Formats: sequence, structure tokens, C-alpha cells
Amino acid sequence: MKYLPYVLKHLRRNWIRTGSTVMAMAVCIFLFCTLQTIIAAVNYGLKSASASRLVTRHSVSLVYNMPLAYKERIAQIPGVKRVAISNWFGGVMGLPPDFTKFFANFAVEPEDYLAIYPEYVLSDAEKQAFFADRRGAIVGPELAKRFGWSVGSTVQLESTIPPYRIGRPFEFVISGIYQVDEVRYPGTDGRLFFFHHKYLEESTRNRAGAGTFSIEVNDPERAAAVGKAIDAYFENSDVRTKTETEAAFRAGFVSLAGNLALLLNGIGIAVTFTILLVTANTMSMAVRERRTEIAVLKTLGFGSELVMALILVEALILGVMGGGLGLVLGKAMIGVLPSLPLIGDVARAFPNLGLSPLIAATGFGIAVFLGLAAGLLPALQAYRARITDTLRTV
Amino acid sequence: MSGNGKAPMVAVEGVKKVYRRDAEEVKVLDGLSLEVPEGDFVALMGPSGSGKTTLLNLIAGIDRPTAGKVVVAGTDVAQLGESELARWRSRNVGFIFQFYNLIPVLTAEENVALPLLLTSLSKKERRERALTALKVVGLAERSQHYPRQLSGGQEQRVAIARAIVADPKVLVADEPTGDLDSKSAEEILALMETLNRDFGKTIVMVTHDPRAAQRAHTQHHLEKGVLSL
Repeated sequence: MKYLPYVLKHLRRNWIRTGSTVMAMAVCIFLFCTLQTIIAAVNYGLKSASASRLVTRHSVSLVYNMPLAYKERIAQIPGVKRVAISNWFGGVMGLPPDFTKFFANFAVEPEDYLAIYPEYVLSDAEKQAFFADRRGAIVGPELAKRFGWSVGSTVQLESTIPPYRIGRPFEFVISGIYQVDEVRYPGTDGRLFFFHHKYLEESTRNRAGAGTFSIEVNDPERAAAVGKAIDAYFENSDVRTKTETEAAFRAGFVSLAGNLALLLNGIGIAVTFTILLVTANTMSMAVRERRTEIAVLKTLGFGSELVMALILVEALILGVMGGGLGLVLGKAMIGVLPSLPLIGDVARAFPNLGLSPLIAATGFGIAVFLGLAAGLLPALQAYRARITDTLRTV
Repeated sequence: MSGNGKAPMVAVEGVKKVYRRDAEEVKVLDGLSLEVPEGDFVALMGPSGSGKTTLLNLIAGIDRPTAGKVVVAGTDVAQLGESELARWRSRNVGFIFQFYNLIPVLTAEENVALPLLLTSLSKKERRERALTALKVVGLAERSQHYPRQLSGGQEQRVAIARAIVADPKVLVADEPTGDLDSKSAEEILALMETLNRDFGKTIVMVTHDPRAAQRAHTQHHLEKGVLSL
């Protein structure tokens, strides 16, 4: 500890260089945390996808809805066990809308939807209460906890989607709080809000249509064939469909199809490696400038190991500062992501978006590693530097 | 043994120092022997390349002889490992450089206290000792000044305070007045005389300046790695 003031004084010596190095590291960790959080959020969603479920949507885009009558036709296709309509409502609380309180909310056909999605566990009484009340809604336990809701609480939501805007907010009454069974159904999102599709239809005077059809198939191994059959059925219709497995739908929903993890990790590795080179160069410059001082320290009796340790501690402090700042920036960015224009729409599809302790710890670890790795070579040079050679060449 | 029967503070016996530049060997010291009694003030003179600084570095324990023995304060420095040698230097030798070599980000007091970081002294004790050393060189009132705020002569006095703060037995000085004007040089030499006379420090000084050399008790001349009185 007695050497710490000495190390800190050196870091303050060229504060612009120290500051820019810390910022470079912070940007690296910020990117890492943000990208990894997005990957984790996507994976979290995909983890809960069932192999026996398909999702049918408009072939052009999710923006367009399909006729409600498609439900009966899909239900008649061989292999289809059950069909439920589900619409992304995009409702936000508050006037004007407060996007910091955003959560995912869907208009669904309660009986069929809950039969297809057994992971949303409700007691029979709660189910019956939900089915019976047209304004009823069920919510996840985390969402209920976040807003302090209980059964009977009233909630007002106004949609951001034009066809669902009726000049006033929709009013809901909480009928039940579904439970999450992470053992049987890992990855189940406990922050969702479901309400009656009929309520949406009636309030919008039947303008709602069907955003997606959630389909349960009899045989998971025939899911792909059933999906093709559905799309083939509507091939010559005005509104053609696109049917995918639930996992493919969730990945495609955010237009992040393809190997998302590889792409984002590739970006992360490239940035990290670049920052490593920049930091290593900065550290080398800082140590090269101090060659005389290193020789003087050794002359005064500072052992080579101690000199090396002082430089490594300096690099470590840069890493800790960069990592800390990067985490703060990353957490702030992930927090505001859902309220940003354009990208916020995508981010809001992942209600579980949040900087996890594991990602934060990994990010911080990378920063510490970067600092130490960048400082290692200059520290070794200082360790090996012979006093007489160094003093002779200055 | 020196004339008074006591072991000399510095005993250099048959020291050779050879540097290798690619395939070529450069012989800097060639079987040199020298004794410096305790409390002596010795000046080493000679032309550039004669081996003065190399000899000084060997005595200070920052270089090792190719052959021969260098015994300082009773320790054969060539026999010590790197870590032991560093520890030995911190306790036994104070080094004064031509260009002061103060750490620019540290105040005068912090520069002086630097060698004390290697001791078990508390922060308060280190501070007190540094201030005492600065008082000895007459710069106590400039303790919070940074090197850039001091003149060359003052910087060298701070460097001398740093050299004496751990109370070493031997002071080695490499051209201590080489970068100073004559007035400042005179002050530095007077200070070194005081350290030798009043504090009993054994001083070995390399210099090109005959006037500086005259302040020493003994003068040695080096010529091509060999001593010539």
C-alpha cells in the first residue's frame, strides 16, 4: 500500500493519456457488456422455445396482421393440435407514455393460448377468473413485483401501434399472477402481460386482425412439414403466411437471424484485441519515457521484481478504472436501450434485458486481464533493464 | 588493511571489466586495485573512456566485475545475487548522479523519502527523516516543491539528500558538479565536504573538474583502465 501514492502520481503525470487509455478500455467493456447482454437476452428467449410449437405470421412482415379467419383453416390442417391468436400490443403505461416502465404485453385467446403454453402456471381459480373477465389480464411474477400489482389491481395501457390506438388507454384488471417453473420450463419469462384478444378486437372495432398464430403440433418431429403445409395452404391467398418453429421465429423476430452470437462475439473480440494493442502501446510508451527513473529506482535499491510489480499495478489500476467505467456505461446503456427510438422497439422485445452479474464480472475480468496483459511486456522490459545500460543510453 | 589497521571501506582487488560488443571485447578495467579507507573523500579523474564511471558503478554495486573482487563495507558485492545486491545498495550506498535524476512527479520531500519506502519505517517516520535530510542540505523550506520548480543546484542538493537519507556508509558521486554553474558547483562541493567531515561519510567521486578534485583528500587518475597516482 505504501507504494500506491507513487503509482497514482505516475498515472496522474500524463492525465490525458491515462484518461484516454481508461476510456478506450471502458468502451471495450461497455461494448462487451452490451453485446453479451443482447446475446444472453436472445438465448434466454430461445431457450424457452418449444419444439412442438410453430408460429405463423404475415409473409411480408410482422407489421402486417392476418385475417382472424385463418385460425379455423390452420386448425384443419393435419398435424395441427391447437391454434391461438396472439398480437403484440406494444402498450405503455403513463400519459405521456413512460418507456422506462415498458414491458411486453400481448393480446391472446386465453383458453387456447394457455393450453399451448403450459409454462405460464395458474391455479384453476385464477384461470377461470381470467377467462370470465373480458378486461382481465394475467401477469408474470417479476412484473407484478416490479409494479407492486396483485390480483384485482387495475392497469392502464395505451398502445404505440396505430391500429390499436383508440383515443384512450385500455383498462385491465389483474385476474392472476402466473408462476414460473424454471425446472420444467427453463427460460420462461416472468415479466409478461397477457390479456383478451376479444377485448382488443371489440375496442378497435374489429381492426385488430391476427398478429401471429401460435400453433401446437401433434408430433414435434413433423413440425417442419406441418409448417410447410400451412404456408402452402395460403400460397394463393391475398395474405400469404410464413410459418417457422418458435425458436426460429424468436430469432427472426428481431431481424437477427443467422449466427448472431458469432457476429457479436466477433465484434467483441476484434474490439478487445484492438484495445489490447492500444493499451499495450500506451503502457510501453509510458515505461519507455521512464527508463531513467526505472534505472534510478534500481540504483536506490528497488529490486527488479518490485519495479516490475509497480508497473503491473499501474496497468492493473488502468484496467480496474476502465472496467469500472465500462460497466457503468454498459449498465446505463442497457437501461436506456428500450426507450431509444428505433432500436428501442427491438430492445423492448426482450423484457429480461439486463446486465447480469456473470456478464458484469466477465467484463470486469476482461478489463483487468487487458490491463495486466498490456502492462506485462513493459514490466518485463523494466525487470530486465540493466542499470548501467539504461543510464548510459539516456 | 589500511594504514590504521582497520579494514578499508572500499577494497578493489585485481578487478577486470570487459564489455562485449558483438564479437569484439572491450577491456575497460584491467586488473585494477584500489583501497579507500573509512571516512576518506576520494576523487577519480581521467579522460573519457578511462573507466572511471565503470569503477564507480562496481563500487556502488550496480555492475559486476568480469574478474577480481570488490569489497565495500565488508561485503564482497560480486558474490551477492540480484535481489540481495539491491537490498545491499539500499542500506550501504548513496548514489549522486550528474543529472540529479529526480522523479519529476514527486515533490522534493517525496523524492528524498523514496529510498525509505524500502524500509519498515512508518509514513510519519519517513517524512521526518526526509525533512531532516533536506535540512542538512539546506532545502527544508522547499520540501513541497517539484523538481521543475527548483534550480539545478537545488535539484542536486535534493539528490544528495536522497543519497544520505538512509544513512549509507558510502556515497558515490558521478560528476556531481558536471551540470552546474561554478557557484552551484561550489555549494555542492562544500556540502559534500561537510558530509565527509561532519557526518563521516566515505565519498568516492568521479570528476573531470580539477577544482572539484582538489576538494577531495585523495585523487586517483585512471588511464586506459589502470590507476596512475
